[in-house]
Amino acid sequence: MKTQKILAWIAIAIGVIYFFVPLIGTFEFSLRMRRGEYSADAYQSVFSDMQFRETFGFSMVMALLTIIFGMLLVVPTAYWVRLRLPQIRPVIEFITLLPLVIPAIVIVFGYLRLYNSSSWIPFTGSTSGTNALLVLSYITLSLPYMYRAVDTAMRAIDVRTLTEAAEILGAKWPTIMLRCIFPNVMSGVLSGAFITFAIVMGEFTMAALLNRPAFGPYLQLVGANKAYEPAALAVIAFAITWLSMGLLQLVSRFSKMAPSRP
Amino acid sequence: MSFLVLDNIKKSFGQTQVVKDFNMSIEKGEFVSFLGPSGCGKTTVLRMIAGFENPSDGTISINGKNQNRLKTNQRNIGMVFQAYALFPNMNVFDNVAFGLKVAGKPKEEIETRVKEMLALIRLDHLADRYPYQMSGGQQQRVALARALAPKPQVLLLDEPLSALDAKIRVSLREEIRQIQRQLGITTVFVTHDQEEALSISDRIVVMNAGRAEQIGTPSEIYNRPNTRFVASFVGTLNIIEATVADPSANTVKVGDNTVRLREPIGALNVDDKISIALRPEAGSLSESAKGDTAIVGKVISSHFLGSVIRTKMDVGGNQISFDMFNAPDAVLPQPGEVLTLRFSSGDFLIVRD
Repeated sequence: MKTQKILAWIAIAIGVIYFFVPLIGTFEFSLRMRRGEYSADAYQSVFSDMQFRETFGFSMVMALLTIIFGMLLVVPTAYWVRLRLPQIRPVIEFITLLPLVIPAIVIVFGYLRLYNSSSWIPFTGSTSGTNALLVLSYITLSLPYMYRAVDTAMRAIDVRTLTEAAEILGAKWPTIMLRCIFPNVMSGVLSGAFITFAIVMGEFTMAALLNRPAFGPYLQLVGANKAYEPAALAVIAFAITWLSMGLLQLVSRFSKMAPSRP
Repeated sequence: MSFLVLDNIKKSFGQTQVVKDFNMSIEKGEFVSFLGPSGCGKTTVLRMIAGFENPSDGTISINGKNQNRLKTNQRNIGMVFQAYALFPNMNVFDNVAFGLKVAGKPKEEIETRVKEMLALIRLDHLADRYPYQMSGGQQQRVALARALAPKPQVLLLDEPLSALDAKIRVSLREEIRQIQRQLGITTVFVTHDQEEALSISDRIVVMNAGRAEQIGTPSEIYNRPNTRFVASFVGTLNIIEATVADPSANTVKVGDNTVRLREPIGALNVDDKISIALRPEAGSLSESAKGDTAIVGKVISSHFLGSVIRTKMDVGGNQISFDMFNAPDAVLPQPGEVLTLRFSSGDFLIVRD
């Protein structure tokens, strides 16, 4: 029993070392820009770089749009499947899982073939069109996480009975969605939103191949040409992801939308 | 004209017909229970009244108005669900106020009505609580107040007590009945619990395989079941296989015993088979019992159940159970003992399929 416990701790320690040592090493390296002493010069250099601000801002806007349009697609879909079409649930689950199986590069090449400037829907024919295509591809990419987060939240509140309860009290669809369903799946929506945010902020393939000035390609560019800044950027990217995860935990912990059930 | 009329209602899901030719008229202010086993179609009928399901055939009318074409949110019906279905993001006040807000009532009117409803269910001190901070019984009372707040024409109760523990169940069912009487609201209650149905209903509809087997007052349903199903589903009943002894004298043979029935046997001949039923509480072992007939049988087993002693005896191959009230000096009949059970000939019911 005691040996088992020790072995468990050793396994955890190995995991922690494997994960944290490179991170600590990267962080330590990012502070070594000034010769002979630790400094935040690399971070200063990153933050003062105009391209950093532009690409970061661009990715933020893309992430926000992805979250808004993604949720507009996912919440009603998950709701409708739960309420009226439970038989097609396995099909929807399969479709939402596809982005995990199909590599991003395949998806984006598919988009480029379908929506190039000489196609029927020439998304790539203009900057705004390409940006729209990028948002659509981000939505595809984050679909497995968004759908599951929302669907799990819906399972917890028994949407069917809540809908019927609201309906018999005279409510119409917009009221049911906005006042009875949406607030009760908010924790799922936010969880999906934070994961989406983290994915979009670090995504490289889609943005690079669609030639958009996003944060992912910028990270690659800096990594190829500078020494200390890439380390600082890696730490910043980690911080963003961790912040998103932390917020996700907070939302689920402090959510008071506990379901009313026997 | 009746207030709520279900006229020749049918409902099919695919090839399966779950409700068959259901007819029922409910008067204003009446409390009617749909009683039946799982899958008998009682909840489907309730859901059709609510508008969650559309009848495949037939009409539903309330106060003379056909409801078939109306959507659920246009019917002005209140409903309490088995799973409470309170909105988790709203507190008690907002839950009760929901229907009134949707109807666009003025703020003052909403406040007055919600307070009135919370006083009715005696939970006015919990107006700020959220559903997850309340017990099951409290949540179901809030659900009742929420259903009643918009002054619905009909109240539907879909097994509202099933999820509660036994004690709360009894007190809440009495509370529901008292509130229903106080408001005079037409109520349809769905349950599979016969005690619930018998204790609070004006009338009971016993349903089986999509049909109403019998509609009647609790006393009629219990004492005069029309079919074998009603007889076996409501209460405990001994079904005895007998043979006709003398049709002109209205007597039947149960083993070696010849007993007279009060109910006419009908067009049967000597030695024809007949099923008769007897409630366990009908018989008595006392020699002073006011019974005009008796059967003799051998005791198989006897069990002490607290308030009653239930004894099973064999009479010509039929197992008959009968109950005696417990008394401090009561002696349990012993297996093998021969007993004479006395009862009134009116206690026997002829069971028809």
